[in-house]
Amino acid sequence: MSRLILLGSPGTKRTSYFMKGAARAGADVELLDWEDFPQGLWERVPEGERAFLKIDPPQWGSCCLGELDGLVREYEGKLKELEAFGRGRELCFLNAPDGIRALLDKRRCKRRLLQAGIPVTEEVEPWEEEKDRPADDMGKYPLLGRLMETMAKRRIFQVFIKPNFGSGAAGVMALRYEPARGEMALYTCGMEETGTGRLVNTKRLRRFTDRERIGSLTERLLELDCIVERWYPKAEHEGFSYDLRAVVQDGETDFILARLSKGPVTNLHLNNHPLKARNLGLPSQVTESVEDICRRAAACYPALRSVGIDVLLERGSLRPRIIEMNGQGDLIYQDIYGENRIYTKQARMMRQWIMQNV
Amino acid sequence: MGKSKKYEYDYEQYEAGKGPDSMVRDILADPEFGEVTDVVIGSWGSAWEDGCQKILDEIADNGAGFAHVEKLFVGDMDYEECEVSWIIQGNYSRLWKALPDLKELTIKGSTDLVLGQVEHENLESLTIICGGLPASVMEEIGNAKLPNLRKLVLYIGIDNYGFDGDGDTVQNLLEKSDFPKLEYLGIEDSEIQDELAHVVLESKYMKQIHTLDLANGTLTDKGGRMLLEKLPSFPNIKMLDVHYHYMSDGMVSKLKELPVEVDAAEPNEPEEYGGEIWMNAMLTE
Repeated sequence: MSRLILLGSPGTKRTSYFMKGAARAGADVELLDWEDFPQGLWERVPEGERAFLKIDPPQWGSCCLGELDGLVREYEGKLKELEAFGRGRELCFLNAPDGIRALLDKRRCKRRLLQAGIPVTEEVEPWEEEKDRPADDMGKYPLLGRLMETMAKRRIFQVFIKPNFGSGAAGVMALRYEPARGEMALYTCGMEETGTGRLVNTKRLRRFTDRERIGSLTERLLELDCIVERWYPKAEHEGFSYDLRAVVQDGETDFILARLSKGPVTNLHLNNHPLKARNLGLPSQVTESVEDICRRAAACYPALRSVGIDVLLERGSLRPRIIEMNGQGDLIYQDIYGENRIYTKQARMMRQWIMQNV
Repeated sequence: MGKSKKYEYDYEQYEAGKGPDSMVRDILADPEFGEVTDVVIGSWGSAWEDGCQKILDEIADNGAGFAHVEKLFVGDMDYEECEVSWIIQGNYSRLWKALPDLKELTIKGSTDLVLGQVEHENLESLTIICGGLPASVMEEIGNAKLPNLRKLVLYIGIDNYGFDGDGDTVQNLLEKSDFPKLEYLGIEDSEIQDELAHVVLESKYMKQIHTLDLANGTLTDKGGRMLLEKLPSFPNIKMLDVHYHYMSDGMVSKLKELPVEVDAAEPNEPEEYGGEIWMNAMLTE
């Protein structure tokens, strides 16, 4: 017997709108709760049976950034379990667990894309001499000190710092540093929790210019595994700056959403203002170049039939660069509340599989 | 209808050697420039390091080349490109004579900003957007000879970022200045917005303007009450712009009952932190 299974969390927007898409596509998809994993999966797909599986991300409860790494490790463990499970059966995935896993690591993804000659937001690697410099050489905030030295020497005056694993605006910090006068500015949603001092994520973007405050906030983030990237001024539309989230499925760009914001951190959770990209009035060659690099980026990950890709357009030139990719970045509210074409298309892919595997 | 065009350098152009030295040359070399009446100068690559003095000087040196320009904006950069308070501005003294037909000037940033002796027959609009406006600049505006000025918008800002005056400084400016044609007065983006609302409401310009702009600051119900009380005696005022404010919904409703058009978008809530109440103007840097 062949089955179609969605491994997800019942009651979430992801599962309910996917199931609507499945009903529309005439695909008979069973919903398996992450809570019942792995037992429920073994029961549904005994050895020798065939199944097609879509994996949704599990619900992540914590907003404490220090716990992010642990949560990602736990999730990676589950993905590895799914990989192993697939080996004993004829299991097909919309997005294979090893592909999803590969994209959890932002640094690895960026390097893969660079190898393929795809423009990305440049990673700011530590200045050679700074690498081995003893930490106590740089005062109270040694990691920030090293970063500032690197920025000054590379003449990169503004960067984004973000946890290498994890998604969302979780912990993203935008740091600007002017070495000649020593001035700094930091934009972040991260805050120290009253009492514990832990770095937690809030839904509000704040701006700091006080060195001490910037030092203590960035140091906590830099202690985690972080990726530092050059902060490119993003294109603007009617006074908002924006980046793009494209969803590419089976080689086609099925959706491009512009995420507009009044601050440098654009993220859909931050009460920002989304807009269908076609309403930006971009010149057609810009749209084509975005679609082109998205298709090429998606092709670097053949195990993923559906990917979410964040792209920025540089202010002025509108040159696109890929910021990051997400193997589970298919939830777009503007789509599910509208045509729901992303999930309907996935359901069609699943239906097609079952027609061939009856 | 003239054409608007923004001239700016991105990071790669800056790294390739572009900067304030090359900006005017590049503008003049633009084949479209002859049709551009609205010139916007954005990032010149290193606004936090090198000011725009060279750009201003070269515009002044090439006055004839810029003669068709009606609107000039120097420093159009936002939080993506540069902190407003880091933008190094320059001395505009020579520009007034060099561009006699200029109608609108917008300046963003106030570090090292000098207007000099302002004397211009045709300028209709002057806007300064910044995190803190120095008293020296306000004094220059107070002494300005701008017989055709119709619109004046000043971001007052805060002391950390260059505002070294107080309510009296703004009062002096409004008292001393002589803009017989002023129709639009904007005293914006202040953390003493209520006090400045009072200063503006008592000024001579209230009798002649059609637009009163007290936006982007910490205007509270206190300022709102003053507006409610005073505005009815100035039927010439048709538009009140108080967007980005700290007034209550009730106060906003009352203001909207006045026979003027009211923009009260972007209401803000004061934040409590460490037992103190915090309110911020929109652009407080």
